[in-house]
Amino acid sequence: MAVGTRGGRAGQDVLRRVGEASVLVLISLADGPKHGYALIQDIKELAGVELGPGTLYGSLDRLERLGLIESLPAEDRRHPYRITAPGAAALRVHLDAVERVSAAGRLRLQLGGI
Amino acid sequence: MDDSRTARLLEIVLRCYPAGWRRRHGDEAAELAALLIRDGTPAGSIAWSYLAGAAREWLTPRGGRRLGTAACALLVAACSLGLSAGLLASAGPARAAITSQGSAAPAASAKASTSQGSAAPAGAASTSRARTQCQPGTSARVPGVIAAVGRPQVIIWEAGHGRSC
Repeated sequence: MAVGTRGGRAGQDVLRRVGEASVLVLISLADGPKHGYALIQDIKELAGVELGPGTLYGSLDRLERLGLIESLPAEDRRHPYRITAPGAAALRVHLDAVERVSAAGRLRLQLGGI
Repeated sequence: MDDSRTARLLEIVLRCYPAGWRRRHGDEAAELAALLIRDGTPAGSIAWSYLAGAAREWLTPRGGRRLGTAACALLVAACSLGLSAGLLASAGPARAAITSQGSAAPAASAKASTSQGSAAPAGAASTSRARTQCQPGTSARVPGVIAAVGRPQVIIWEAGHGRSC
């Protein structure tokens, strides 16, 4: 079941249910194609999260099924992955939603004076 | 853990994945594990991650496995229908016996009053047969068995009537 071209189904946040690991993979792929090992290293630097290889492949398969990423021809034994246009749009929608929630949270903390 | 044992462990764990997954990712996954071990990641944690991934892979519904799900649903539906039919089949004669018991006694007595001689014992016999075939059971539950052709027998609890009803 692939996702449409503009941020999922009519701007819906399709990444809300795919899990944190999948979002991190998508963010990591946002600046260019990477293979599994490079993804794990990049996510470790980016977010301080050490993805297990089993989790990584689960996320890659899920994102590929959704049409948010695609695999490129293998280099040696490694398959690089690339974010697709629907994937980039879905990531934008998700990051906007996260930003809105984050801003609301900060505001409430200020109002609460905690 | 020495290298050979680590390699053996990872090989076993990667075999837990479905064949399609192994064809697609198997070589790369083995290489990735070797790179992570070289970087200092414990082999046990890599193996555990792959094991959990394999479990998820088997448990996540896929397009091809939807057929299996549909087959299971059909099987459950067929079993429910079979059970319902069995219950109906057992309840039908019991209901008929209740209604025939109510009407059979007056008919027999009417027959006995109009008939002469040997007709009276015949009427009495038919009444007694009706009574032996369908006696109002006790209120206590008794186990009954529905013989289902081609299926395992289903044991049910019948309330009120014995099996002969």
